[in-house]
Formats: sequence, C-alpha cells, structure tokens
Amino acid sequence: MTFRNKRRTAVNNVMLSLTGVFAFLTVTILILILGYLVYNGVTSLNVAFFTKLPVGPGQAGGGIANAIIGSVLVVAVASLFGLPIGFLSGVYLAEFGAGTKFAYVVRYTADLLNGVPSIVIGIFAWTVVVKPMHHYSAFAGSIALSLMLIPITARSTEQFLLEVPRAMREGALALGASKWKAIATVIVPAARKGILTGMILGVARISGESAPLLFTALGNQYWCRGLMDQTSTLPVMIYKLATSPYDDWHQQAWAAGLILLGLVLIANITARVVLTRGASVPKG
Amino acid sequence: MASPTSTPEATPAHRAKMRAENVNFFYGSFQALHNINIEFRENQVTALIGPSGCGKSTFLRNLNRINETLRGTRLEGQILLDGEDIMQEDVTTIRRRVGMVFQRPNPFPKSIFENIIYGPKINGMVKGNASEIVESSLRRAALWDEVKDKLHESAYALSGGQQQRLCIARGLAVNPDVLLLDEPCSALDPIATAKIEDLLFTLKEQCTIVIVTHSMQQAARVADQTGFFLLGKLIEFDKTDIIFKNPAKRETEDYITGRFG
Ligand SMILES: Nc1ncnc2c1ncn2[C@@H]1O[C@H](COP(=O)(O)OP(=O)(O)OP(=O)(O)O)[C@@H](O)[C@H]1O
Ligand SMILES: [Mg+2]
Repeated sequence: MTFRNKRRTAVNNVMLSLTGVFAFLTVTILILILGYLVYNGVTSLNVAFFTKLPVGPGQAGGGIANAIIGSVLVVAVASLFGLPIGFLSGVYLAEFGAGTKFAYVVRYTADLLNGVPSIVIGIFAWTVVVKPMHHYSAFAGSIALSLMLIPITARSTEQFLLEVPRAMREGALALGASKWKAIATVIVPAARKGILTGMILGVARISGESAPLLFTALGNQYWCRGLMDQTSTLPVMIYKLATSPYDDWHQQAWAAGLILLGLVLIANITARVVLTRGASVPKG
Repeated sequence: MASPTSTPEATPAHRAKMRAENVNFFYGSFQALHNINIEFRENQVTALIGPSGCGKSTFLRNLNRINETLRGTRLEGQILLDGEDIMQEDVTTIRRRVGMVFQRPNPFPKSIFENIIYGPKINGMVKGNASEIVESSLRRAALWDEVKDKLHESAYALSGGQQQRLCIARGLAVNPDVLLLDEPCSALDPIATAKIEDLLFTLKEQCTIVIVTHSMQQAARVADQTGFFLLGKLIEFDKTDIIFKNPAKRETEDYITGRFG
C-alpha cells in the first residue's frame, strides 16, 4: 500500500468512527429520555388514570381521561382544518404557482409562520377567536394548532410533489390527461407516501404543543362538554401537573407524558401500516 | 415485405397525416427550431436523426404540444394533424391522438394493468371492457406473454426493455393516430432494442410513427423516410434509402458517414 492510500484509509476510518460515535450518542440520548419517561411514568399508570377525572393532591384514584379526550378532540379538529388547507396550498405551490409572485409570497409566509414561536400563535388565536366569542374553547385551541399545521403540511406536500419526476407528469399529460387530472391521478399518488408521512409528523408535532393551548383551550377540571367548551389537553395538563408542588402530581406528569408519546406513536405506526399495505408503491 | 404494394413509396395510401409548416420554436429568447417544414405520412415510419442538441426532441415535443407545458416557450408557424391546426384544437384531444414514448421508460407507480388502462380511463374509453383493452394493448406491444400472469404487480418490477414496451402499450391503449418515440431504445440492450424495432413494423399498419434516434443503423432498418436535423434546422428530408445512399446535402453525408465533428 502506498502512503497516499494508507492515509486515505486512515482518514476514512477516523471519519467512520467519528460519525458512528455521534450516531450512537444520538440514539443513547433518545433511549435515555424514553427510559426515564417510562421509569417515572409507568408507576402512575393504571386503568383509573385513563378513565377518571383528576382528583386533588394526595388523593388516590384520579385520572386524566378528560385531558386525553380533550387532546384527541382538539388535534382532530385542528387536523380537519389544517391538513386539507395545507395540502391544497402545497399542491398550489408545487403545481400551479411555480414562478408566480403570489406563490413566492405564500411560500415565504408559510416559512415565516413555521418559525413563529407557538406562544405567539396562541396569542393570535386568543385575539381572533377567544376574545370575540368571550370564552375559551376547544375550538379556539384547534384553530391555534391548525395555524401551525397548515404551513408544515403545505411545505412538506410541496416538497414531495416537486420530487415526482417531470417524466411522470409528462407521461400522464401525453396520454391526454388534463393538468388537474394528472395531478390527482398520478402525481399526488406517486408522492402519497411522503405527503402522508409529512402530515403524520405535522400532527405529531402539534399534538405536543402546550403554548398555543394555554389561553385558547385553557383547561378544564371536568369533562369538556363540546367543541365550544374549554377543555383540558395532555400538554397543558402535563404543564400544570409538573409545575405543581406535589410529588404525586409530578409522577402523574410523567405518566401523562408517556401517554402523549404513546398516542403519537400509535398514530405513526398505524399510518405506516396503512401506507405499506398499498401494493404498487415504487421503490425508494 | 418485398411485395410491390408495401414499398415505402408515397402512394395515395400514404397521405400526409401530420405536417409542420414554417415552425420556429423558442425557449425564452433561445431559438431552438428554425423554419421547419416536414410531413409525416400515414402508415409510415419517419426517423429524425442529427447530432445531440440539434432540436430533434424539441421538435417532437411540439407535435403533441407537450413543450407548451414548459414555461417561457413559444411556437411560431403551424402544425397540422389531418389538415387541422393542432393549436386550435383541444390540447387533451391532440395528446390522445398523438401519443408519445419517452427516452427513459416512465411507467406510473401503479400496477401493469392500471398503467395500461390509465389513458382509456381518463379519456372515457372504458365501457366494461377494461380487461380486453389491457390484453389487446399488451399484445400490440408484444408484451402480453411476458406479463399476463402478473398484471396486478407493480410496473416497476419489469425490466427496462419490458417497461419501455409497457409504455408503448400504454400509449397504444388510447388508439393514437400518431405515435412519437424519442430515442425509445437508448436505455435498452440489443435484444430489447430488436424487439421494439420489430414492433414498429407491425405498429405502422395502425398508425403513423415518428422516431428520434441516434442510431443510423436503427433509422436505416425501421424508417421509410428520414429527416436530418442540424442546429435547429431540417437540413434534408427524403426516403431513407436516399438519405443514407445518396444524400443531396454535404452536411447529411458528413453526418451519416461519421465525418461530422
Ligand atoms: N427545457 C429547455 N430549456 C431551454 N433550452 C432547452 C430546453 N430543452 C432543450 N433546450 C435546448 O434546445 C436545443 C435542442 O435540444 P433538444 O433536446 O431538442 O436536442 P436533441 O436533438 O433532442 O438532442 P439529444 O440528441 O441530445 O437528445 C439545445 O440547444 C438545448 O440546449
Ligand atoms: Mg433528445
């Protein structure tokens, strides 16, 4: 082996080990967080925790069922608004707006909105929903979260649509497909895996947000009686439990965190299973 | 093939199906085509040859108006299909009537069956006879025997040559009058290439074929007429025999004898 080759091999090995070490570090940190969450949370997990309303500090047998239901409700309604609007905006950006000033503005605004601290989104939703309606509500929380979901979905949808090769579009157009038909029947299906993954990640992201809900959905000691009622949610519940001075509430905060993580994980896995079941997906 | 009735002579049976008149084409301010005049005869194969970048693809892509989907492009002159200006007709109708097969196979990420039936479906041509359309299209593209047992598998599981024939079958499924092929064999091995060349002989019974190729041998084998492009101009257009044995222009001769720089 020549000196050059030896050096090259050495550099190669060093870089390989270095990247390997950092990859290992990343995984270790993640596992530590997960382990800590499970370790601290699992003791408070029991059936009552999933089915009962909260009780006072020191009392046994309470749960956070209202927060679980509240989170699911708020996130579901936020997705109902956020995903279609974000998706259609993404389609516009990728397929129709190429090069137009309007698309540039939309794209720029979306990126800006993506970078806005979520507490600011909360204040905004409070101003435009809570204040005129004169009360806190699950609905206001959903609006706040959907404001976060729209730009995330729009940009990821756009990105995955742009990755569909031009040849595929031309293939559809060359058979006599109109532009929207080519988009609906070939381009979006070709990108569906990426688009759906982006949506899942977006929904997972907003599920964990507490700041936008603090003064929109607010919280509720009891069951939420509808979309227009204020409601407890997991992130806000975790915040309240964790900032309390009671040890048993701290335990419950960990358990609630575990449930939140579990919900996000279930959504993720379900979506992946559904996705891979569709047969004729191209490799890669 | 040698019977006097099937010679590539321009008999009345081989009327002009498609015709370009004084076509100029621009990508932004760059003029890629200069005053092209050419006609494609029914039931004949026309080959377009010329060095890289001379505008063969550009010209072909104007025949089905796919180039107008690129921003900043402009076409001058007229392209006529059966005597009608294609720019005046509905663009989706033109694209159904003028099919195109691309250089690289571009099947949709769907099953073989869905790939074939896609065109007929969007053009409202399926009336409970989807299976028949799929079978006859695959047969016309000489692919049926190879795929008949896996119609519902992904088109991506096919080899490159099979994918290209699938794309031909997909194009044939909408019964085009004209079939454009842009270097359809450039990504294929000699056996797959031979299959596609064989195919062209039977296909021209049913439609008008225009093929862009870099292979002189291929042009000589399959084409009845050949057009030679150079720097966006159509230098010479004639019967294939004449182009290859006795070209009128110096540039043509240089190119086909390989003397071209
Ligand atoms: N989308 C485009 N935008 C701008 N210029 C283009 C575009 N496509 C092609 N051109 C230019 O137009 C000219 C003709 O290109 P074209 O692709 O038609 O050549 P070609 O004869 O098909 O070449 P090849 O044999 O390499 O495929 C070239 O100068 C090319 O750079
Ligand atoms: Mg080309």
